[in-house]
Amino acid sequence: MFPVLTRTKTLTRTAAASIAVAALLASTACSSSEPAAESQNTSRNEEISIAIQAQPASLDPAQLAEGQQAYVWASIFDTLLMVDKDNKIQPSAAESWKYSEDLRTLTLKLRSDLKFSTGDPVTSSDVAATLERTRTTAGQQQPKLAKVTSISAPDASTVVIQLSSPEPSLLNYLAQATGVIGDADSLASEKTKLRPTGSGPYVLSDATVDGTEYVMERREDYWNAAAFPFKTVKVKVIQDRTAQYNALQAGEVKAALIQAPQRKQAEGAGFTVKEVQATAALVLVLADRKGDLVPALADVKVRQAINMAFDRAQIVKALLNGVGKPTEQVFDPNSGAYDPALEDTYGFDPEKARKLLAEAGYPDGFAMTMPSTVISQSFEPVITQALADIGIKVTWEPVPPQNTASSIASKKYPAVLWFYGLNSAGRQVGDMYAPEAFLNPFKWNNPELDTLLETVANEPDEATRDGLYKKVNEYTVRQALNAPIAYVGTLWATAPGVDFLPTSVVLPTVRDFGVSAR
Amino acid sequence: MISYALRRLGAGIVLAVLVTMITFFLLSGSLESVARERLGSAATQESVKALMAELGFDRPAIVQYLDWLGLVLTGDFGVSLFTSQPVAPAVAARLSVTLSLVVTALIITVIISVALGVWAATRGGVADKVSQGLSLVGYVVPGLLIAIVLVTVLSVNLKLLPATGFTPFAQNPGKWAASIAIPVIVLVIGGVASMAAQIRGSMIGELRKDYIRTLRTRGVRTRSIVLRHALRNAASPALTVLSLEFIQMLGGALIIENVFALPDSAPMPSTHRSKATSPSSWASLSSVSCSWCP
Repeated sequence: MFPVLTRTKTLTRTAAASIAVAALLASTACSSSEPAAESQNTSRNEEISIAIQAQPASLDPAQLAEGQQAYVWASIFDTLLMVDKDNKIQPSAAESWKYSEDLRTLTLKLRSDLKFSTGDPVTSSDVAATLERTRTTAGQQQPKLAKVTSISAPDASTVVIQLSSPEPSLLNYLAQATGVIGDADSLASEKTKLRPTGSGPYVLSDATVDGTEYVMERREDYWNAAAFPFKTVKVKVIQDRTAQYNALQAGEVKAALIQAPQRKQAEGAGFTVKEVQATAALVLVLADRKGDLVPALADVKVRQAINMAFDRAQIVKALLNGVGKPTEQVFDPNSGAYDPALEDTYGFDPEKARKLLAEAGYPDGFAMTMPSTVISQSFEPVITQALADIGIKVTWEPVPPQNTASSIASKKYPAVLWFYGLNSAGRQVGDMYAPEAFLNPFKWNNPELDTLLETVANEPDEATRDGLYKKVNEYTVRQALNAPIAYVGTLWATAPGVDFLPTSVVLPTVRDFGVSAR
Repeated sequence: MISYALRRLGAGIVLAVLVTMITFFLLSGSLESVARERLGSAATQESVKALMAELGFDRPAIVQYLDWLGLVLTGDFGVSLFTSQPVAPAVAARLSVTLSLVVTALIITVIISVALGVWAATRGGVADKVSQGLSLVGYVVPGLLIAIVLVTVLSVNLKLLPATGFTPFAQNPGKWAASIAIPVIVLVIGGVASMAAQIRGSMIGELRKDYIRTLRTRGVRTRSIVLRHALRNAASPALTVLSLEFIQMLGGALIIENVFALPDSAPMPSTHRSKATSPSSWASLSSVSCSWCP
C-alpha cells in the first residue's frame, strides 16, 4: 500500500497529541516574543478585534442567541435596558420604566434621540413590533415572553407591556436579546437574518464575510456613541482554541479567551490577562428528585450525601486549572441571592455521606446512569470515583454533541453534569427550579418552594426580592436539590492598548473592552 | 468507449444519490435536536414539536428526502438553519478556499517531487539517500505538527506570514499567497514525501529497461533519455498516485485549515467537539444555550 493512503488517518489520530506538543513548543518558543503592539493610542479611532468560537446563527431579532454571538448582535442592536456588573438593571434605549402596583403592566419610556442605521427615528411602534414578533415566532427568546399578553405603543415614546402574571425576570430579558430593537418595516425580510437594519452603536460594514469575520463601524449618530471608544470592531470566528491563541500572539486579534496553562506564557509575552472567577456553575443536576428512575434520589439524605462526595477544591485545582472557585450553591456570587454562609453546608465528607446513605436505607449504595456529553467528559473519572467512594455506581451513556441539551429534556437520566451560565437570580430560578424549568425535567415541586417563588414574583421592591431569593437559595441548598461543584471562571487576554473591563456578568458585549494607556 | 463512459457516469450518479440518501436517513434521527437547537434549552417539548411540524420534520423521512432531492435538482439547496446563509453559495465559497489550497499544493508537489525523484534516481549515492531521508521525515512527521511548528515560528515569532484567515485571490493576490503559504507548505511536505518516492522508484525501474540501453548506445544525450523517455513512461504510475494524493490532500486540508482558521468546508454547522476543560470551548455548541459563554 502506498504510504499516502494512511496519511489522513495519521493526521486525525495525532491531532490531539500534536496540539499538546504545540502548546509545549509554543511555551518554550514564544516566551520572549512581544505581541504585535499597536501604538499606545488612546484616541477614539482605535480598532479592536475579538476572537469568538461560533458565528451568530441569525441576526433576526426573533432568532438571537446569547453567548459569544452577542459581540456581534449587541453591537448592531440597541437593547431597551442594560444589566450592569452588579447585576442591576440600567436604562439604555428606554430611559425609564415603571411597573403597575400589581406588577402586571410595565411601561417603558424611550429616549427621544434614537435612530436606526438608516437615519430613520426609532419609535415605540418599532419596539412593539419587534417584541410582538419575538413573542409569536419560534426561537430562543420566545419562551421569555410567555407571560406577555399584549404590547402596545400609545405614543411615539411609550411602550406598554401587559402580563398575565408577574414575571420577575422580564427587565433582565429586556436588557438582553429579548429587548433588542429592530426596524418594524424590515423585520420579516430575508435580508434581516444577515444584514439587519440596526439600532445600535455599530453598523455591519461591507467588509463582513458571514461566518468568518464581522466588521462593524461605529455610528457617529448613535445617541451614546461617546461610550464606545473603538471606531471599528472586528469579530473573528476562530473555532480552534490553538488557532485563537496563535491569532492573538501574531497580533491578528487583540482580545481572546485563553486556557489556564497559557496564562503565564501570555503574561510573559506582554498581554494583560484578567480572570473572571465565575461565569458559570458546574453542577451535578439531580433531576430525578421525584425518584421516578432512581427512587433513592427522592430522599433528601441521599441528595445531601451526594453533596458530600466531592472534593470541590481539588476539582477546581486539578480540572479547572485553578480558574474558578469551589461552591455549594448555584447563584451568581455577585448577586443578592448569594449567601457566603451556605458554602460550608456539606463540605467533603465521604464517611458522613456513607452514613447518610445507610440512614436513608441504602447501606450498599445504588446505581445510576448519566449521559456522557461534551460537557461531562473531562470530569467523568473524578465524578465516577467520588460517587463510587460513597457507594453510588455510575454508568455513563454516550450522547452525541447535538443531543447534549436534549439529554436533559429526554427524562432518560436521573442526574446530569451541567454547566449553568450565571444570570440574574430570577432567571436562574426560572431555568433551574421552577416547575417548568429546563433543569427540572421531572417537574419536581414542593409547596414550600412554590410559596417562596410566588412571593418573590409578586414582590415589587428589589432589596426585599434579593432577600427572598436568598431564602430560595438556602432552601435549594438545604434540600440538596442539586449538587453544585464549582463556579467556573474564564481568562481574557488582551493586547497592549486594549483593556478588558467586564461591564455585565450576563451579556458579553463590546462594552467590555476599553482603550488602555499601556 | 462512449457506452463505457456513459456506464461510468450512470454508476457515479447512482452512487451520489445513494450517498445523499444514506446521509439523509442517518441524520433524520436527530431532527429533534435541530429544532431544540433553534429554540434553545428553555423550549418546551410542545414548541419543539410545533417547530418540527413547521419545518416539515414531522413528515416521513422518504418524503422529506424526495422533496429535498427535487429542490436540489432545480439548483435550490435551501438556507442553512445554523448560519442563515443560502447553502449553495456558502459551500461554494468554502470549497473554493479548500480547492485553491489543494490545487496550489498539488502543482508545487508535482514540481518538487519530479525534481527530487529524478535527481535521486539518476544520481544515486548521496542524492538518493538525501531524497529518501527527506521523504521518510515528511511521511513520519504528522502534517498537523509541522503546521503548528511553522505557524509558531513563521507567524507568531517572526511575523512573516499570517497565523489565521484567508484573503481571496481576486481581492489581493499577494495577501492570498501569504494566507495560504503555510497550509500549502504543510500539504506539499506530505505530498512530496509520497510522490517523490514513487517517481524515484518508477524512474529507477525505467532506467534499467532495455530501451534505455538502446537509446544510450545510439548516443542520445542522458538529459533527453531521462526527461523525454524515462520520465514519460515513469509518469503513468505517478499519475495514479497523484490522483490519490488529491483526495488525501482534500482530507488533510480540512484538518490543516482548522489550525489556520481558514473558512473551510468542513465544520460549517456549529457543533464543535472540543474536549478542553474550559467552558468557553463549548461556546460553539449552541445546543447548550450558552448565555454564560463570555
